[in-house]
Amino acid sequence: MMRSLFLFDMTFWLYLAALGLYVAYLFAKRPAMQMVPAGHPIEDLEERDGAWATQLGQVATLVTVFGWVLNTVALTTRAFERMEHSGTFAPWSNQFEAMAYVSWAIILGYVLLEFRYRIKAVGAFVVGIGFIAMGAASLLPYRYQTAEPLVPALNSYWIYIHVSVTLTSYAAFAMAGGLGLMYLFKERVVNRGSQSRFYAAFPDLETIDELGYKAIMLGFPLLAFGIILGAMWANYAWGGYWSWDPKETWSLIVWLIYGAYIHARMTRGWEGHKAAIYAIFGFLMVIFCFWGVNFLLSGLHAYA
Amino acid sequence: MNDKPDAASDVSASAPRTSGLGWEEFSLEVVDFFASIKLAMFLFIVLAMTATIGTVIQQGERPETYVQEYGEEAYRWFLRLGFTDVYHTWWFTSLLGLLCVNSLTCFHKRFPSVWRSMRQDKVSVSLAFIQGMKQQTTLSLNQSRDAVAERLVKLFAEKGYRVLAKSDPGEVTVYATKGIMGRVGAHVAHLSATVIVLGGLLGSYYGFQEFGVCLEGQTYHIPRGNFDLRVDKFWIDYHENGSVKSYNSTLTVIDQGTPTTTKTITVNDPLVYKGIWFYQSSYGDAWDQIEAARINVKEKGSDKIIATVDLEWNKEKAVDGLPLKMKMTDFVADFAFNSTEKKVFSKTAEHANPAIRLAVDERSSVQSTPWVFYHYPDLFEIKDSAYQFEFIGYQPKKFTGLQIARNPGINMVWIGCTMLVVGMTLSSLIYHRRLWAKIIPGESGITLHLGGTTHKSQIDFQKEFRKLTEKIHAQAQS
Ligand code: HEM
Repeated sequence: MMRSLFLFDMTFWLYLAALGLYVAYLFAKRPAMQMVPAGHPIEDLEERDGAWATQLGQVATLVTVFGWVLNTVALTTRAFERMEHSGTFAPWSNQFEAMAYVSWAIILGYVLLEFRYRIKAVGAFVVGIGFIAMGAASLLPYRYQTAEPLVPALNSYWIYIHVSVTLTSYAAFAMAGGLGLMYLFKERVVNRGSQSRFYAAFPDLETIDELGYKAIMLGFPLLAFGIILGAMWANYAWGGYWSWDPKETWSLIVWLIYGAYIHARMTRGWEGHKAAIYAIFGFLMVIFCFWGVNFLLSGLHAYA
Repeated sequence: MNDKPDAASDVSASAPRTSGLGWEEFSLEVVDFFASIKLAMFLFIVLAMTATIGTVIQQGERPETYVQEYGEEAYRWFLRLGFTDVYHTWWFTSLLGLLCVNSLTCFHKRFPSVWRSMRQDKVSVSLAFIQGMKQQTTLSLNQSRDAVAERLVKLFAEKGYRVLAKSDPGEVTVYATKGIMGRVGAHVAHLSATVIVLGGLLGSYYGFQEFGVCLEGQTYHIPRGNFDLRVDKFWIDYHENGSVKSYNSTLTVIDQGTPTTTKTITVNDPLVYKGIWFYQSSYGDAWDQIEAARINVKEKGSDKIIATVDLEWNKEKAVDGLPLKMKMTDFVADFAFNSTEKKVFSKTAEHANPAIRLAVDERSSVQSTPWVFYHYPDLFEIKDSAYQFEFIGYQPKKFTGLQIARNPGINMVWIGCTMLVVGMTLSSLIYHRRLWAKIIPGESGITLHLGGTTHKSQIDFQKEFRKLTEKIHAQAQS
């Protein structure tokens, strides 16, 4: 039994707790102008409620950060285990580790976003995706979870940088997908005109839209860089930088899809609603590229 | 582009056109078409969609494979549409070419205005222009015109803006700009697409890629490089659990008869000589040679094993205690016989039906060269011989699979990739911002109209704008 597996497990539970806390936070938060039954002193209720929500929010952030630290420790432990078994450090050398790394990157991105923009409501969506990634990883059969030695072609220093860069871009796209979903949720209530309390903590639509765009503008160059690093690696390992194998083709497809997105934003009418749907669609394509290609088209791919 | 100042600085691009259907008009239409973002979006999406075909349908297989899986009718359509080799069809290549034309035209049409705004800027703008901006504010300050102007210039400069001020009779206009490199970055990315595609074309026309199966100790001529390559050694390293860790070949280049370079190559670490790259690509068991074979010698009458002999490749060996000498001269991994040429050959590279040929010398009287089979011990009998030979085991000889390639376009591809990454990173991290301030003296103090636009990143800019406004306010109070 590997020690890292226990740590990954703990990370999973902490992310679940964090997700629960963020959702609870959304429910606890009151809209700024709350209708209060007559006779009650307005100030008191508002204050008590607000304090309660704020505390929930603080605990949610704390648990998330703690989970992320544990995730970091788990990945580091795995790196040392890898070193013992196969002489490479990279703790993202199989599907399981890659998933754990992606959720690490998603949560890191979220924590940075929260500290920079002070918006907690995003957590309910983005920490959710990080949690799902971690959960999906732990559902993989045990033989996928251990640190088996790498086949010779993968055993190279390229794996450190190529894989981590590509996976980080996936995390950025996950963030954009989560924000897109959040946009659609919020948009529905705005259109209905009812400011239900659940949405009180949500930032306004324009902010969600902008944040999503920013995430994609981060993921897009990262993915390009990742693909190019892969091409350089292939050139070293196989004597051809591009061979149209399904994995590399799919990462190019994903890149093209986001290429269309960033250019679409420069034309009128491609913010907001459309952009949110497109970001979700793009994220689904990322999931296919990450999971689908490995498991569905694996017959064609040498290193599934 | 939907932000207004861009339209303002793009005046030249949409300059009044001469009426009529002249050549000029037509070429402008063409440029507009090829520079349009709509076309770019269309190409991105169509390329993405068509690229999926080759990941679903296997590429470059034999016809039988397709017919078996999809049926004959479908296969005929595949051929017509090029689905068996999508990425090299004329239409896929044209789409890529069109993307290059598209991005080049875009560069041609839009870069000049970016370039211009790097060197000179429109400082004076109308008040309405400022008031029409998304980020704009009006402050009344109780100070002199010049003091405010001076402070603004200093504040903007502190924040990393390039500042220009213009003093008209009465009012002062201050213009500040930052982050134009973000837009230059986007255009560098646009040029990179063409550089990469050209590098790819160069490689596919003037490069080559071959696969070589090489045996230890042999020397091979490399005609494309006009030198020889000797394989000194090949070996495999294993992990503790028995899986393959790496495989390695020690290669020596022999140029004009003299050994010049020796290098041990392994996966991910090729040898490069005169622009030709030698990659450790695979390994396997040779199909026309083995290291050693083990033979049982049986007495014909009694069918009793009287000796077991280990033969090395092509080395004669005398059998102890028997008047018998043996040599192994040939090996085939998958025995087949060509009856017209009367020749034995190996049908495939698989070790499906291994056989060796012996040269047997019995008491200097019976001399024969029988084939003996690993799977069929009793197939042939040697007449006049006192013995029967049984091929019971062998040690295969490993070959090393070398990928041999030259790609004269590769450096161009890497240059293009560098441009792409640098350009995209610039455009992602830096965004173009512009601020205009108009200071208009009034009865008591001045009125400051401040407005700003950004190419993107509205929320960050909004934050920055708010902070700037607060700072101006605070400074005015103190
Ligand atoms: C071929 C691959 C292409 C790549 C990698 C690429 C990449 C980029 C990037 C990274 C940006 C910056 C985005 C931003 O600032 O938000 C950009 C902007 C832009 N792209 Fe592309 N692009 C490509 C093709 C095209 C094509 C074919 C067109 C044709 C119309 C086009 C038109 C534009 C325009 C107009 C801008 C805004 C430029 C500016 O800020 O001044 N792009 N592109």
